Amino acid sequence: MDYILHIAILICIYTILSQSLSIVAGYSGQLSLAHAGFYGIGAYTTALLSVNFGISFFITLPLAMLLSGIIAFIVSKIAVKTVDDYYIIITLGIQVVIFSILNNWQELTRGPLGIPAIPSIKIFGFAFDSKMSFLLLSVFYVTIIWYLINNFVKSPFGRILRALSEDEIFVKSLGKDVYQAKIISFTISGMIASIAGVLYAHYISYIDPTSFTVDESIFILSIVIIGGMRNLKTIFLATVFLVLLPEALRFVGMPSNIAANMRQIIYGIALVLVIFQYGNTKN
Amino acid sequence: MQLIVNIIISFLMYALLSTSISIIYQTTRFFHIAHAIIITFGAYFAYLLLNQLNLYISILFSVIFSTIIGILTYLFIYKPLIKKKIRSWHMLIASLGIYIILQNLISMIFGDNTKNFRTWKLKEGYNIINAYITDVQIISTIVCMSLLGLSWLFIEKTNIGKKINAVTSNPNLSNVFGISTNKAILYSFIWGSALASVAGILIAADTDITPTMGFNWLLYAVIAMIIGGMGKIRYLLMGTLLLATAQHLSAYFLDSKWMNATAYIILTVFLCFRPYGFSGKKLKKAEL
Repeated sequence: MDYILHIAILICIYTILSQSLSIVAGYSGQLSLAHAGFYGIGAYTTALLSVNFGISFFITLPLAMLLSGIIAFIVSKIAVKTVDDYYIIITLGIQVVIFSILNNWQELTRGPLGIPAIPSIKIFGFAFDSKMSFLLLSVFYVTIIWYLINNFVKSPFGRILRALSEDEIFVKSLGKDVYQAKIISFTISGMIASIAGVLYAHYISYIDPTSFTVDESIFILSIVIIGGMRNLKTIFLATVFLVLLPEALRFVGMPSNIAANMRQIIYGIALVLVIFQYGNTKN
Repeated sequence: MQLIVNIIISFLMYALLSTSISIIYQTTRFFHIAHAIIITFGAYFAYLLLNQLNLYISILFSVIFSTIIGILTYLFIYKPLIKKKIRSWHMLIASLGIYIILQNLISMIFGDNTKNFRTWKLKEGYNIINAYITDVQIISTIVCMSLLGLSWLFIEKTNIGKKINAVTSNPNLSNVFGISTNKAILYSFIWGSALASVAGILIAADTDITPTMGFNWLLYAVIAMIIGGMGKIRYLLMGTLLLATAQHLSAYFLDSKWMNATAYIILTVFLCFRPYGFSGKKLKKAEL
């Protein structure tokens, strides 16, 4: 039972991550590979604050969002100058920089050793230390974030984002500020990703930099691409599929060392097929 | 002195790799991430064949096999996709997918642990004016320099190279003049993959083989290419020289663990202030 709850919590965390990336990748048309970086920033902020200073979750969550938002703002200021594949490369670069800061700034983050013994979330004296209660908390967050993102992309600003992913120059000609729209969407997406990081850190109670690598970014981006870029519901389904995939492979009886590779091969194939399909629908 | 030797060695390696990726990038206009796996394949084929055959034949065959893999990815994945005229980031994602598939195939077949095919003994390098340099590094320097020279000759002097150049500057116009875009891309894939697999073998001889070794090297090559900008080889060389120097300076003054971050910080600075690299040739990638 615990195992099923664990999977469900992971699905919740990845849903937050992939839906927040969808704002950037699907709506404003910028494929960012830096998402695991913001996820990591959220996790590390809350871990360091709560382990070293014993600050409660209510304060660390806004602080993590703020820090992640500031960094996302700076990053998007730089990245917004480029388009298409250069954009992917530059966000990939930022991801690597964030990862090497987490991994190498040992005075602050303890480097590859990671941060152990992160306390569980306490709200009004109630500790979310059992899996069931944590699942309820994460479902609560997923619902709120889903609702907010859904409203956000249907707002006038969301329509600007959708339009600029179709034709940037045309949107510009209508007098909309394309730069600003891109920067705002990126910042919001980074802030939401840090919420997932905060939840993850308190849930696992031990974090190290290997959870926030380029591979993780690629994984989140694949969820969004396989889930159809924009549709929040299908992105959720894609998350369920890709998180359950390794478990399903293990269920079939594949040895764990092959299953890990097999899972990656399957989502690699899915990526290629999706791109082929995209080419078909366009013409 | 050691610093200068290190800079020169990695400068040549980066130059070789970024030549190989840029020849493909120029004709196809997308980042061929799966190129990283060609580097890895070169190393792994050499690892397999060195047990059975002698050195030169096995190197020759591993270059041929990896080039065939490069050609196959083009023929079966990229060619149909290019026909559909989708945007370059779609191509990049498809290429990333191919990379993931092939890299995990290698991990499944050979395992994730580090390997090396050194049959010779590790010995202390020669001491030349206070700098240590090993046999392998000397060989790789010579090979890199000669291959760079060859690829310059190939692009500037031969007929095929001229076709590639024509397609690079204007695919439609060159089609009008009867130069097949497909063939030019195919030639560039052959040449680029061959160079990359040689680089993979050299890297493997110097250090170790892992399934993910190609990715980092490819990213350095891509960074060098972006810094250098499109167009002539000399700009590419300037970009790689800058990258290698900065990385080794940071390793010398800070710590070698920051080498990765330095590379990307340089890339970011360049994209901020000089998005077209040294050459300044516009490719419509950074605009508005």
